[in-house]
Amino acid sequence: MQKLSTITKLICLIALISLISGCVPVTQTAAPAAGGTLRWSLEGINELPALDPPLAGASQSVGVISLVFEGLVRLDGQLNIAPAGAESWDVKDGGKTFVFHIRKGLKFANGDPVTAEDYAYSLNRAFGPDFANGNAGYYLSNISGATDVTSGSAQTISGVKVIDPQTLEISLNTPSVYFLYQLTFPASFVVSKKAVDANPTSWTDTAYGTGPFMVKEWKHNQSITLVPNPNYWLGKPQLEAIEMPFIQDAATALKLYQTGELDIMGTYNFPTDQLSAVSSLPEFKQVNQFFVAYIGFNNAKPPFNNPAVRQAFARAVDKATLINKVMEGAVVQADTIIPPGMPGYNAAAAKIQSFDAAEAKTLLANAGYPDGKDFPKIALSINNQDPNFPKIAAALQQMWQETLGVTVDINTEELSKFNDDLTATANNPEDPAALSFYVSVWGADYPDPQNFVSQQLRSGVGNNNGHYSNAEFDKLVDAADVDANQATRLPAYQQAETIALTEVGWLPLYYGKANMLIRTSVNGLVVTPQGLFPAVDWTKVTVTK
Amino acid sequence: MGRTIGQRALSLIFVLFSVTFLTFAVSFNAPGDPILNMMGGRQDPARYALLRTLYGFDQPWYIQYFRYLYNLLHGDLGYSYKYPERPVWALIANGVPVSLELGLLALIVSIVFGVAAGVLAALWQNTWRDTLLTGIMLVLYSVPSFVLIPILWIGDLALYRAGLPSLPVAGWGKWEHYVLPVIVLAAANVGFIARLIRSSMLEVLRKDFIRTAKAKGLTWSLVIRRHALRNALLPLITLLGPASAFLVTGAFVVENLFAIPGVGYLAVQAIGQRDYPVIQATTILLALAVVVMNLLTDLAYTLADPRVRSG
Amino acid sequence: MEQVHLTRENLRPGRTWQRALLKNRNAVISILVVAVTLLLALAGPSIYQNLLTGSDPKLRDGVYQDYDAINTGPSPTHWLGTDYLGRDTLSRLLTAIRISLLVAGLVETINVGLGSSLGLLAGFFGGWVDILISRLADMLFAFPGLLLAILVSAVFGSTARELYGSSGRLLLVAGALSLVSWPLMARLVRSETLSLRERDFVTAARSLGAGQLQIILTHLLPNVAWLIIVAATLDVAGVIVSEATLSLLGLGIEEPGASLGLMIFRAVGKIERDPFQVFIPAAAITGLVLAFSFLGDGLRDAFDPQGRS
Repeated sequence: MQKLSTITKLICLIALISLISGCVPVTQTAAPAAGGTLRWSLEGINELPALDPPLAGASQSVGVISLVFEGLVRLDGQLNIAPAGAESWDVKDGGKTFVFHIRKGLKFANGDPVTAEDYAYSLNRAFGPDFANGNAGYYLSNISGATDVTSGSAQTISGVKVIDPQTLEISLNTPSVYFLYQLTFPASFVVSKKAVDANPTSWTDTAYGTGPFMVKEWKHNQSITLVPNPNYWLGKPQLEAIEMPFIQDAATALKLYQTGELDIMGTYNFPTDQLSAVSSLPEFKQVNQFFVAYIGFNNAKPPFNNPAVRQAFARAVDKATLINKVMEGAVVQADTIIPPGMPGYNAAAAKIQSFDAAEAKTLLANAGYPDGKDFPKIALSINNQDPNFPKIAAALQQMWQETLGVTVDINTEELSKFNDDLTATANNPEDPAALSFYVSVWGADYPDPQNFVSQQLRSGVGNNNGHYSNAEFDKLVDAADVDANQATRLPAYQQAETIALTEVGWLPLYYGKANMLIRTSVNGLVVTPQGLFPAVDWTKVTVTK
Repeated sequence: MGRTIGQRALSLIFVLFSVTFLTFAVSFNAPGDPILNMMGGRQDPARYALLRTLYGFDQPWYIQYFRYLYNLLHGDLGYSYKYPERPVWALIANGVPVSLELGLLALIVSIVFGVAAGVLAALWQNTWRDTLLTGIMLVLYSVPSFVLIPILWIGDLALYRAGLPSLPVAGWGKWEHYVLPVIVLAAANVGFIARLIRSSMLEVLRKDFIRTAKAKGLTWSLVIRRHALRNALLPLITLLGPASAFLVTGAFVVENLFAIPGVGYLAVQAIGQRDYPVIQATTILLALAVVVMNLLTDLAYTLADPRVRSG
Repeated sequence: MEQVHLTRENLRPGRTWQRALLKNRNAVISILVVAVTLLLALAGPSIYQNLLTGSDPKLRDGVYQDYDAINTGPSPTHWLGTDYLGRDTLSRLLTAIRISLLVAGLVETINVGLGSSLGLLAGFFGGWVDILISRLADMLFAFPGLLLAILVSAVFGSTARELYGSSGRLLLVAGALSLVSWPLMARLVRSETLSLRERDFVTAARSLGAGQLQIILTHLLPNVAWLIIVAATLDVAGVIVSEATLSLLGLGIEEPGASLGLMIFRAVGKIERDPFQVFIPAAAITGLVLAFSFLGDGLRDAFDPQGRS
């Protein structure tokens, strides 16, 4: 789901800021001083969409949720699984059963002890009917009996068993090599039953969990303030507070930073056209990310139900010009679905959708629209959050006009409406109001090609908003998903990727780079060159005056 | 007097009625199906029918309108489409005091500076000072807020870079956050008020009773204070109405560019999200503010000017 | 928009409004400015495209994106430089002014047509006609103008675009703005008509057997014409700003069209990097507003020297 992919982008950002051994430290840790207050902007939103973990959609939500809540496991600096709520775990039945040993002495921020029962409660809750719009189903539907709870035929998940207060057993439908990665998602984070029952509709206004911070005050439409969790298992963070204002416009956030009102900005959105002004500053950090911006097509209704039309549009895009001139090199050109650096990256696939104006024209003519004659009126839908999208859409508009003779309108929508329309398109693609094609983003949840290939383009999955469908593709990825042998599963994903690129299931545009400004007075944050999310040790972060 | 109040009350009710009706008419005819949106486009006829009945969409439009009015009068603004568990009033409640503060502050500032500028310009009539002042007022009146804002921002950034104290360019919470937005909101009204006061003052100064006062030997400043000002300021009351109307529409741009969580901010956000209950509520609220101001203006004018009272 | 209370006193004999107007220096300057602007807006883009350019005229059409010339400053090819997509700024500016004037023209046409005729009818006939029209006007008048325009544009904007393309948006914006302008015009014309109705020349015409329509057209209309002209001119300034505000909020003209508000909106974020791109449209808008305000004031003073403002 697109909402989640932007989360990943943000999680990446949080992850970027990490103090993990083995990464290249960019700032020195200062001598432990009284913490100070960190002012960190949340760009791109007027209001935090949700703070309840199963509802984590937008990257901003995931960012704040990750500061307040925690799950059984988390990622470290090398993107390996590290203990969090669970001190250790055993894997049984060839990857079908996991037994977690809950950390002794683990407490909620209010002092209540945390047991396996709480994790079971949280999982059952996440799959409950109240959260049918939530994200638990995307990541954790492999847990036995989970979907029964969502459909209402069961009250609790049969695959989640509390063996004793310190031991939790989870059974899956099929063995999975990446299940633990899926547990690093907010959907499974533990919440306090007491807090929820005390105030079912607005307990998140003063949310607390097992994360490093807790919510002190949530001023709706304005900002959220967090304070340290005195019972955090790694120790109480030294910071006095984190203030996170909601700033819709990234350029405004930049101005606020430049006038001394913020300590960190740009983690969620950065006005890339101002990069030249800030890129030489010591506070500027830029890291590559596993996040790709792409164009998705509605494969269920004309004109994009015809693969030749999709191919024509893909070959008509001069990505080099788009990236280097229009975007001024602020991002990296994307030609494949699996990004470079991720296991399974296939450089040879890059030329499948290469720019070829003549070929594009021919393809469109063969599809029945020579020079764009009689081509139906369509609109490219974009959301209003990313400051780059209007530029890109306008440039694409011109490229398609010049090369194909097709007129494309641009439909800009507010972020949550855009997400709603994407969902509606997924559920009802043949509706005349469904989107024809759209620009969307996907950020890696974990460093595995499954996350980019199967989770995005297999027939029927939630993220496949455009209903791309290919039987051969499905066969390949289904086999690869349960295959534990990297030597055979990676080539299978690559073959599937080739099919999807040839038929233009996706038209990848660019890989984002994370750009942000972190004031030098902030200590204890380290930016990794990699991008995918290790956890930050918040106990070590301070802001010197 | 009693009859005028009765008339006023009647027209107030009529106006409220029309405001709610217009807003309702627009939302009612809006494209798209809100129920379908809430369900994420999922085809579930049973749930669809249920939600339809719950929100009252299966009723004819006049029933829906009256239901809305009835709820409105009981303080029930309905539930948001975007956040179905949150009542609209809860979403708006935080924004109202913010917009009120901003608006009132801007009004007071514009009156103080506008009157001062207008009076001074009248006293300095036909000197270079008058021309300068009038020119500045005219520019302030003509320059739209979204032109003024970037200019102020650049100035502020320059101040910061020079190491001088500067103001925050966005946000809300401390007193420093009020300064720039109030300046922008007040600017156009200052120009408007100054022009009005200037011509009013000039007219009063021409009057006979001023000459009489001077002939009686009163000092000039006494003449101004005791006689001229009181009469010159009378038209001030009439412009409270249009001034507040301008503040309300100005709030949209100012609140959105400065990220101030007021009613205008919420309205634009709700518009983007097609959250019609919130859109309706904020529109009615804003229109109501203007209507009430106009009413107060009328009443104040009646009280202030004895000539009108007997009419 | 300024609340205008216009009253009419007798003009001195021999003093025509044209002479009075031309004596007003500010008014003369603004007439010139408006005239030049109109000319620029109408003929400008085509002249500019073909003038003294050795290169492709397409480069200067304000829509074509030249990726090799992004964010450039003034040059022989692009007299005011280019924007963030390589489009010629001067051309976009001229097109934006054209659109502002077009919208203003449309709005004022409806304003004048609808507002003054309804005002005349209400003032002349009185009775239930008056009540009906006045109530209708009051209903719309109570709404703070821009608010209704924002509401209508937001709700019906995408439908307008889907059905009629970009001109659909333009028409919607013009429609929304005229919806909130005509009530004021109607009110002004109505009160003037009411006072004129009792005058001797009207009574004389009636006693001579003139029909109602004839009275309205030949006697009343010419005498309210000045009021209509002044009110419409002063209104133009407000419409220009309203259209820009709507575009600023993303509810008006969209890309690839140009609008002064849209140009400012896109450029404001990068203001430190390229202040030129904000100040050019900003200066244009301010200039237009000043010109029409001065012109309106001048017209009003010319027709109505003792008028209370």
